[in-house]
Amino acid sequence: MPNIRPFTRRLATLIVLGLAATLGAQSKPASDIPRLANGKPDFTGMWDNPKEPGARGAATVFDKAKMAPFVPGGEALFYEPRTGDPRHDEPRAFCMPSGFPSAFLGPYPVQFIQTPQHLVMSTEFMNVTRIIPLDGRAHKTDIEPTFYGEPVGRWEGDTLVIEGRNYKRWSLDDWYYQNPKEYRMHSEAFRSIERLRRVDADTIAYEFTVDDPKIFTRPWSVQWQMKRHPEWDKVGLYEMVCNENNRCEGGKCRQ
Amino acid sequence: MRKRSVALTLGLLLSTATAPSAHHSFTAEYDANQPVKISGVVTRVEWQNPHIWFFVDVKDDKGAVANWGFSGAPPGVLQRRGISRNALKAGDTIVVEGFRARDGSNNASGGKVTFADGRSVFTASNEDRAPK
Repeated sequence: MPNIRPFTRRLATLIVLGLAATLGAQSKPASDIPRLANGKPDFTGMWDNPKEPGARGAATVFDKAKMAPFVPGGEALFYEPRTGDPRHDEPRAFCMPSGFPSAFLGPYPVQFIQTPQHLVMSTEFMNVTRIIPLDGRAHKTDIEPTFYGEPVGRWEGDTLVIEGRNYKRWSLDDWYYQNPKEYRMHSEAFRSIERLRRVDADTIAYEFTVDDPKIFTRPWSVQWQMKRHPEWDKVGLYEMVCNENNRCEGGKCRQ
Repeated sequence: MRKRSVALTLGLLLSTATAPSAHHSFTAEYDANQPVKISGVVTRVEWQNPHIWFFVDVKDDKGAVANWGFSGAPPGVLQRRGISRNALKAGDTIVVEGFRARDGSNNASGGKVTFADGRSVFTASNEDRAPK
């Protein structure tokens, strides 16, 4: 390419190298990650909650900029205003469940235990456990929707894809901790898709897709990650029993 | 109503918003614009879920005593930070900084505890805001 100026040539080289590095990172066989005897990546371990890379402390909430547009009427379904009734406004203050994914987005450890048949995800927050079959079975069609839905896992190469259905209408994230007037809900049509890929010994790339056709015009996704904390292995998860001393039932803390 | 000028200070500071994620809403329960800083004697500690609570007798300059309740992190969160149930005991003289309940009661989030010898213990949930 004799006519390309040196600067342009350097730029082109850099772009090519950059692309190569990016592609290399994506397609690089993850040889340094633990695997089960069946060859599948092993996610077993103590992990921090899913969040933006580098984020600290607070609970994860979905970025409004990442969301798809609302369908007509969707916004009114999504943003649920407080009414002044504590049972409606602060269900968690009555120790009601957080639901999924909200319960797993708080700044608490999450323990993964994996067998060839199941991935068990347990968060310290309210000691919520999901037991996820990994055989890609069909979702049930005849069950009542639940707070934590029905997750089913399947493998796409080294990526574990977990699809959740059969959710009860409930809070999507912890937005209402930041906003005293409203919270965000998903509908019963909510379908969650998690894509977990262990990119190195201490990191899971965690993509979360919200598909809720009663609220959004199309599915939308966020790219989070989970970091491993081997220093939490020795102690494991602590017990968290909400009703032990719940002084704030009804949204007003008693002395 | 005459303001108490005790070791109780209700200041006005600008909120440094972070996202709380206790099992109930910090924003709805506590007022980030009403930081409190009190000193007094611990009367009781409840090292239990979903949040620890500790109670502090605060004496005003007339000698009247008011008992304040402070909500802190869940025990597990504190233990993981190396703060055990023995960190705070009845009879300890402490300074507590936090944010007052919106209902105007003597309840507050217990953000930071400083002992008489200067040792400092941070008791707020990792998600709750710490007083500056």
